[in-house]
Amino acid sequence: MRALLVDDSRTMRRIVAGMLEGLGYEVAEADNGEHGLEVLRGGPAPDLVCIDWNMPVMDGLGLVTAIRANPAWNTVTLMMMTSQVEHDQVLRALTAGAQEYLMKPFNAEALRAKLAQLGLLPEEVAR
Amino acid sequence: MSATRGAAPPLITDLIDEETVQGIADETWMALLGIDEVLVPVPAEVSEDAVSAWVEVTGPWTGAVVVTCGRATAEELSRTLLREPADEPIDHADVADALGELANVVGGNIKALLPAPSVLGLPGVGGKPPRASSVDTCTIGLLWRGQPVTVSVRGAERTGAAPHDAEEDVAQ
Repeated sequence: MRALLVDDSRTMRRIVAGMLEGLGYEVAEADNGEHGLEVLRGGPAPDLVCIDWNMPVMDGLGLVTAIRANPAWNTVTLMMMTSQVEHDQVLRALTAGAQEYLMKPFNAEALRAKLAQLGLLPEEVAR
Repeated sequence: MSATRGAAPPLITDLIDEETVQGIADETWMALLGIDEVLVPVPAEVSEDAVSAWVEVTGPWTGAVVVTCGRATAEELSRTLLREPADEPIDHADVADALGELANVVGGNIKALLPAPSVLGLPGVGGKPPRASSVDTCTIGLLWRGQPVTVSVRGAERTGAAPHDAEEDVAQ
């Protein structure tokens, strides 16, 4: 399975990429929403895009909206990973087209549980 | 805790308490650094070469959430977050990014407890965090691996002074 991880923090990208790779994902990275769109346009659609909210250039909500505006990416699952934890922020992200919302801070077990709910654990890991 | 004091902006101590800030810091440290990475609530003086990371919050309460520690502690925090060996040299940019992300996660969770609508800024890192109001502050002193770390939720200075000294800031 393939994931695209979009976060302006190299630290968070390193941490989350390690978690995803540990679950068998092949991970690509981008440091803002605009860069995320470039990566999406340049390759096969990933199964999952993990998106931070607060980023320069294009924020996470803008990226969710842009992805959902392109029918070619209809099948991509979008998961917000953010410290914007208020109920109205969650609603805005879900309304824009994100399927899941993981609140920072989270650990590898929380990420695994969310992916399991979404049916996005690679078969060999889910067993 | 009441959310307002008449027409005046609320003070942070009306909105959150030290125990809440400590709980958020504990949760952040354990999730990002590791389950054994305990913060001990013991106030201690941070060294003179202190480095801070902060995120500004703008809304009914305006101020910043600031994480401060000595430079050596900031480097150790960064190595731990990045899963780098203890003897591995670490870039200044990695230290700024790691400390900034800690401030961002703590700040985001604190912002959720403040009156809406509030906006969280992008992290800043440097030797001089935003100036604070002397009365509108909630600060906790902690020890991480025996080294002092402070987490401070500080209201913006209300005297009309410049928002902060930016000479050492590193945009994140």
